[in-house]
Amino acid sequence: MAELPAYILLGLRALMALALYGFLAWCFLTLWRELKQQAHNLARQRIPTLLVMPDRGPTGEQLRFATAEVTLGRHPSCEWVLADETVSSRHARLVFHHDHWWLEDLGSRNGTFLNGDALHAPVVLTSQDHIRCGQISFTLQIEALPQVSAQTQEQP
Amino acid sequence: MNLPRPLRRLLPASVSASLLRLAAAFLGLFALALTLAPAVRQRSLLPLAELRWAHWLGVVVWVLALFWLDRRTREALPNRDPFIIPVAGLLAGWGLLTIWRLTFEFGLRQTAWLAVSCALFVLALRYRERILPLLRRYKYVWLLAGLLITALTFLFGTNPSGIGPDLWLGCCGLYFQPSELLKLLLIIYLAAYLADRQPLMTGLLPLLAPTAVMTGAVLLLLMVQRDLGTAWVFVFIYTILIYIAAGRRRVLLASALVLVLAMVAGYELVGLVHARIDSWLNPWVDPTNRSYQIVQALMAIAAGGMFGRGPGLGSPGFVPVAHSDFIYTSIVEESGLLGAIALLALVAFLVVRALRISLHARDAYQRYLAIGLAAYIASQSLLIIGGNIRMLPLTGVTLPFVSYGGSSMLISFFALLLLCLVSHDGVHRSAPVLNSRPTLIIAGLLLGAFALAAAITGWWGVVRGPDLLTRTDNARRGLSDRYVWRGALLDRDYQPLSRTGGSAGDYTREYVQTSLGNVLGYSHPQFGQSGLEDGLDPILRGEERQPAWGLWLNHILYGRPSPGLDVQLSLDLELTLHSMDALEGQRGAAVVMDAASGEVLALASQPGFSAASLSDDWQSLLASQDSPLLNRAVQGAYPPGGVLGPWLLAAARSQNTLPQAPAETAYVLNELALECTRPPLASDDWDALVEAACPGALAQLGLALGEKNLMDLYTQLGLYSAPDVPLRQPAFSAPASLPRPGEAATGQAGMLVSPLQLARVAATLSNGGQLPAAQLALAVKDASGEWQPYAEPAAAQPVLSSAAAFSQAQRLAAADAPIWEMSAYAFGTNGRRYAWYLAGSLSRGDQPARVIAVLLEDSSTPRAISIGRAILLTALGE
Repeated sequence: MAELPAYILLGLRALMALALYGFLAWCFLTLWRELKQQAHNLARQRIPTLLVMPDRGPTGEQLRFATAEVTLGRHPSCEWVLADETVSSRHARLVFHHDHWWLEDLGSRNGTFLNGDALHAPVVLTSQDHIRCGQISFTLQIEALPQVSAQTQEQP
Repeated sequence: MNLPRPLRRLLPASVSASLLRLAAAFLGLFALALTLAPAVRQRSLLPLAELRWAHWLGVVVWVLALFWLDRRTREALPNRDPFIIPVAGLLAGWGLLTIWRLTFEFGLRQTAWLAVSCALFVLALRYRERILPLLRRYKYVWLLAGLLITALTFLFGTNPSGIGPDLWLGCCGLYFQPSELLKLLLIIYLAAYLADRQPLMTGLLPLLAPTAVMTGAVLLLLMVQRDLGTAWVFVFIYTILIYIAAGRRRVLLASALVLVLAMVAGYELVGLVHARIDSWLNPWVDPTNRSYQIVQALMAIAAGGMFGRGPGLGSPGFVPVAHSDFIYTSIVEESGLLGAIALLALVAFLVVRALRISLHARDAYQRYLAIGLAAYIASQSLLIIGGNIRMLPLTGVTLPFVSYGGSSMLISFFALLLLCLVSHDGVHRSAPVLNSRPTLIIAGLLLGAFALAAAITGWWGVVRGPDLLTRTDNARRGLSDRYVWRGALLDRDYQPLSRTGGSAGDYTREYVQTSLGNVLGYSHPQFGQSGLEDGLDPILRGEERQPAWGLWLNHILYGRPSPGLDVQLSLDLELTLHSMDALEGQRGAAVVMDAASGEVLALASQPGFSAASLSDDWQSLLASQDSPLLNRAVQGAYPPGGVLGPWLLAAARSQNTLPQAPAETAYVLNELALECTRPPLASDDWDALVEAACPGALAQLGLALGEKNLMDLYTQLGLYSAPDVPLRQPAFSAPASLPRPGEAATGQAGMLVSPLQLARVAATLSNGGQLPAAQLALAVKDASGEWQPYAEPAAAQPVLSSAAAFSQAQRLAAADAPIWEMSAYAFGTNGRRYAWYLAGSLSRGDQPARVIAVLLEDSSTPRAISIGRAILLTALGE
C-alpha cells in the first residue's frame, strides 16, 4: 500500500507527457490542416484567361494564356516569344496574383509601356489595356470567370 | 479596379480554446502530481492534510485568467493568430506551478502577477485600434522615457533579494525592473524608425546612424548598471532588425564580430565578465565558489535524465535562484529531457509564429515590430537556457512567460498583446514582401539554436548524467541517503559495526563501533564517504548487486536507488578492538591476517576518530598534525627498511647466489650512515646479520641478486601493486628499473609500502611460501536475504618454495612462543624513523596460521615487538 502513491504519480506523469506532447501534436496537426487547406484553395483558384491581340500582323492571330505567369521576350524559354530586335531576351512578365493580372517590366532595354506610359512598378491590368514592348504592341482581353461559390471553402 | 478579396480565415476559431483546454489538462495533472509528491517521498499513505495543496490556487487563477483572456481576445480580434495565446499560456502555467513547487511565497506573488498581467491585457484590448499607431507616433518619447526610468535606478535602485546589481525600482514589496520595459520600447522605436525610413533607404549608413546612437545609449546605460544579459538581448534585437531591414548578411557578421570583440574586451577589462566567462569555460576548476551555480545546474539536469524525477520529487532547490535564472534546470530535473524538448519546442513554436505574423503583417512598421518581438522572445530564452546548460556564458535574464518576476511577466504579456494586434491586422491585407530571405535565414538560425539547446541538454542529462551524479558536491546523494535504507557493515560474526537508524525521510548512520572511524569510514551528507563506507558504497547504497527490475522500478518510481545491502567483513571485532587498544597512544597501524586465506582479521590505525561526532570535530581532524583521518594500515606508505631482509636472504639462498658475509655492516646512503637495527649476534653469519637488519648485509644481498631478480622478488611479493580490498590506497607502481640493487635492497631508497602489503608478505612464511590475496569483504546479503560471496577469492601465488619458507621461519623463531618474528627500523627521507614488526605463527598442523604487520611512527622496535606480540598471541588464542 505504501507504494500506491508512487504508482499513481507514475501514471500521472505518463498522462502529463501525453497532454504535453498532445498539445504540440495538435499545434502541428492544425498547422498541417491549414497548409493542406491553403494548398487546396490555391489549387481551386481559377485563372481568368488572357487573350492577346497583336496590333500589327494578321488579325485573328490571338494568343490565349491560362497559366499564372507569362514571360515575354526574345529568348526561346519565354512562354511568349517575340522575335523582334527591340525586345529584350526577357522583357516583361504577366502574373496573376491577388485575384488580378499584373504586368511588370523585367528591366528591358527599350522599356514596357501600358497605355502609352512607361512602366516602373507592377500594375494591375484590365481588359482593353494596350501594351507596348519595344516596337511590338498588342491589346489585352481578360475573360470573366464563372463565380466560384465561397460557401464551399468556409470551415465551421 | 476592385479591391482584393480578403483572404479567408483558414483555421477554425475554436483552435485556441481547444489548445487551452489541453494546456489546462496538463497543468491539472501536474498539480495533482505535486499534491501527491510528499506521500511518494515518504513512501507511505499520508493523511490528506500532509499533502501539498497550496499550488491549486495558482491553477484556479490560471484557468480563470487565461480562458477569460482568450475569449475576450477572440471577440475583440477574431483574426489573431490562434496559437500564440495557448502556447504562451502553457509556458506561463508551467512556470507558475514550478515556482509554487519551489517556494510558496514566490508562487503566491507570481499568481498575483499573472492575474494582473491578464487583466491589463484584456483592458488594453479596448484600445486595440489606437495602441499600435500611438506607439509609432511617439517613438522617441517612449524610448527616452524608458531610458529615464532606467536611469532612475542609479539613484533609487534596489534589489529585492538584497544582493546583486540594483536594477529594480519600487518599495514596500512591490518592485519593477525598468530594463524589462526598455527592451519593448527599443523594439517599438526601431520598428517605427525603420518603417519611416524604408522609402528613403539608400544605404546602411542612414539606417544605422540614429538607431545606433539610441541603441548605444541604451547599451551604455546597461553596461554601467552591469545588466549584461539585457545588453546581450539588445544587441541581438538590434542586429536582427537591421538585418531584416537592410537585407545584407554583413550585418550579421559585423554584429557577431562586435560581440566577440566585446567579450574579449570585457574578459580583459571587467571583473564580472572575466569571472562569468571563466566559470563558463572551466566550471570544474572552482565548483564550490564561482562556478557553483553552473555546476549545480548541470547536476540538476543530470538528475533529470531522460524522464525526469517527477513533479515534486527532484531537488531543484539545490541550484541557487532556481525560480528565476535557473527555472529551466528546475523544469528539466523534474520532467527530464522529454520535458526539456517539449519546452524548447513550445518556445520555438512561439518564435516561428511571431515570424509568420511578421511576414503577414499589414505594413513595414508592424512587420518590424513582430520581428523584433520574435527576436526578443528567442534571444532572451536562448540566452538564459544556454547559460543554464553551459552553451553560453551565464547572464541573469529571465525566461519569458516562465521565470519568476512581475516585470518579466507583464512585459511578456505586453509582447503577446502586440503580436495579437499585428496578426489580427495582417490577416486582411499583407504588405508585399520585398525579400523574404532574411526572415527565413533568421528563422533557420533560431530554430537551429533551439535544437542545439535540446541536444546539449540531452548531453548533460543522458550522456554525461551518470558521471555527474557521482560527484561529491551533489547534495542529492546526501538527501537520498535520508530516504533510502543503507546497508550495514558487519564483522565476520555478523556483529554490527555501522548501521542505519531512524525511519524513512530521517535515516541516519549509526556508528556502533565509534573507535573504528578511520577503518570503517563514514557516510556523511556533508563530507561524503570514506573508508569502507566509501569502498563498498555502491553495494551499501543499493546501486549494485540488485535485481535489474528492482533498480529500474525504484529509479522510475522514486528516482532513487533500491534499499542497500548488508556486507559481512572479514574483520574480527574483538581482535580489531584489541589491536586499537594495543596501539593506543601511538601513531601507527597493525594488520592481522589469516595467512592461508588472506582474510584480514584486524585492521587498526591510531590515532583514530569517531565518525559519530564528525560534524563537531571536522575542522580539528583536518588540522591535526597526527592525520587521524588517515587509515595508516592501508593508506600509509612507508619505507620498508631492513624488515624485508629474510625474504632477500631466502631468495638468494634458493638461487644459490649467497655471497660472503660483508665486512661492513653499516651502509652510507645519500650521506646518511645507516646502522644495524640491533647489534648482530655474529658478524659473519648471514642469518644473524639479516635478523639484525644490517643495511650493509642487505646491500650485499641486493648486489648478489641483481636488478632483475630483485625486481621480480618485489613484484612477486606484491609490493608494486595495491592489495585488492575495497579501500582507497596510494598508487603503488613498479619503477622502470632498479639501477642500484644494493641501495634498493636496504629498503631506504625510495620504495614505499603499506602495512597491509607487508602483512601479505609475512603470510608467505606461515603459508608454505604462498602469497595470499587479501580479503576484507566476505559476503553480501542480497535482496532476497541470502548471503552471497562478495567475490571469488583469488588464488595464492607461490613466492618461495615450501621448504625455503619453513626453514626461513624457523631461523626467525622466537625463543618463548610458537611464532617467528622480524623487526627493523626504516628511515624516511623526511628524517623520521619508523619501526616495523612482522611476525607469524609457525606451522603447527591443524592450527590456523596467523600473521601480523605492525608499524609505529617515531617509536622503537622493542615497543613495536611488544605491541605486535601481544596482538598476535591474542589472535592465536595463546
